[in-house]
Amino acid sequence: MASSVAQKRLFHEYKNLSTNPPEGITAGPVSEDDMFYWEALIQGPEETPFEGGVFAAELKFPRDYPLSPPTMKFIGGGVWHPNVYPNGTVCISILHPPGDDPNHYEHASERWSPIQSVEKILISVMSMLAEPNDESPANVEAAKMWRERRPEYEQKVRDEVKKGLGL
Amino acid sequence: MDQSFEIPDSTDWLETPLSLLAPFESSLRCQVCKDFFDNPVITSCSHTFCSLCIRRCLSTEGKCPACRSSDQELKLRRNWAVQELVDAFKLARPNVLDLARRENVRLAKGEEDIDEPTQKKRKINQVEEQELQVPEANSQGRRTRSQRSINSSAEERTVPQIVPEVIEDSQDDEEYMPEDGLVACPICFRKMKEEAVFPHLNVHQQEEEAPRKTPTKPTSFGLLKGTSQRGLTLPSKQPERLPAINYSILKDNALRKKLRDLGIPDWGQKQLLQRRHTEWMNLWNANCDSKCPKSKRVLLQELDIWERTQGGHAAVPSPFTTSNNVMRKDFDANEWSNNHDDDFKRLIANARKKSGAQVRSIIPETSPSSSRQREPQPQQDVGLPVNGARVELSPDTDANHVIDLSG
Repeated sequence: MASSVAQKRLFHEYKNLSTNPPEGITAGPVSEDDMFYWEALIQGPEETPFEGGVFAAELKFPRDYPLSPPTMKFIGGGVWHPNVYPNGTVCISILHPPGDDPNHYEHASERWSPIQSVEKILISVMSMLAEPNDESPANVEAAKMWRERRPEYEQKVRDEVKKGLGL
Repeated sequence: MDQSFEIPDSTDWLETPLSLLAPFESSLRCQVCKDFFDNPVITSCSHTFCSLCIRRCLSTEGKCPACRSSDQELKLRRNWAVQELVDAFKLARPNVLDLARRENVRLAKGEEDIDEPTQKKRKINQVEEQELQVPEANSQGRRTRSQRSINSSAEERTVPQIVPEVIEDSQDDEEYMPEDGLVACPICFRKMKEEAVFPHLNVHQQEEEAPRKTPTKPTSFGLLKGTSQRGLTLPSKQPERLPAINYSILKDNALRKKLRDLGIPDWGQKQLLQRRHTEWMNLWNANCDSKCPKSKRVLLQELDIWERTQGGHAAVPSPFTTSNNVMRKDFDANEWSNNHDDDFKRLIANARKKSGAQVRSIIPETSPSSSRQREPQPQQDVGLPVNGARVELSPDTDANHVIDLSG
């Protein structure tokens, strides 16, 4: 089968991520028959309530990747965070194409561009876990709790992490 | 797709004593496609990309992907120096990498001589190291020569075993197609005798109900023949660039005619026609930036790959693109169910299995295929979940637990 630009580029990214993975991040295609569907594991950043947790997410790439960004969704639930929809979908500026800014709050420089990569997305998501952006909450309840009742928010996150680990 | 792990990549240097060559190689690769620069061009904001990559970006967005300043295709300029750097590096790469890997093996073994290197090696194995250094030693004094002469001098001077490597690395392989007297169908590229092409084209005509006037075919076909012959020798003059079209002022039929005149497929809805024309224009104009332009036949093959992966013939290997195709007006339900019969059966079988498996999903088990096709790596122990349900971590990460994320 002739492979498309997108597939070749995804092969490169996969190889790069598996030979030289950033700390706390693992990612790759679920099956090598479909390079457009990946799964990723992200460790909860240290010194945050997410510490000790390991979060699985799925990444779906469009046919015209890298012109358009992938989508990312935490699977298995349990990510209580202002920028993660209750269904697990991650809402972060690097995943938004520059042309499309429904919320008018993001700088174009933060958004997707073809020179971004899976690695950069996952690193951004890791830092998003550590520092929520409450300007455009995907989960309004979590954002409110984070803003107004920080200790309760942190406790809830820690509980979710423990639950996720089966403790 | 096992070959995915054969692809050369800047990380190849990391585990060798020459790890500093990793960033060096990265800088010779395009940030969009991650491959070595192919016909590099520089933008007006001084960023360099493959000609085709930046053209595709600009026709989507009109902005430089690196700094997001607005730019136009017309302002792109060729970057010969980068092309020469890339060509020279690609030529030297196999030998240097091989040498570095051997050194690595020797360092690991702590021995003076190695008879059987453990790593997978290519033909040049037997060549003694001294000989491997030959091209390196000769590299002095030919810095000012053009790429052509580097190629030829390298072939003369290097040991014969390396020659097949050099040919393998050449990016122009496709150009030198054997002239077997056969010509390719402009639609499916199947090779056949020239007189068989017109009857064969009727088959396509029946397949796609798009109206195709016979008189246009001989002209486009004549063009094909001419360019493919020219492709064998170096073309005497550069092909002319294609101008951009303002699609909004063109009616469907006018656009369809334009595509026909260009000799590219003209079927599909207007949006597909636009996308196909844009892709063709990008392929064509990027080819104009090449030192040795490809023949139109090769470009048509590339357009066909696009057609099958992103265009009107794009297969639907994953569920999230499905809906778009099903919604299309020209969607053929019968063909769809024929093509996907197996998929449906598999899905049904999986669903049945899954409902049974849910009961058992708490029992820890390593997914057998989790890291099956990976290259062996010492610290790569975190298995990827196969079905998204289970995640197992190795003892060297901090959480030695089996996590059930399905419930």
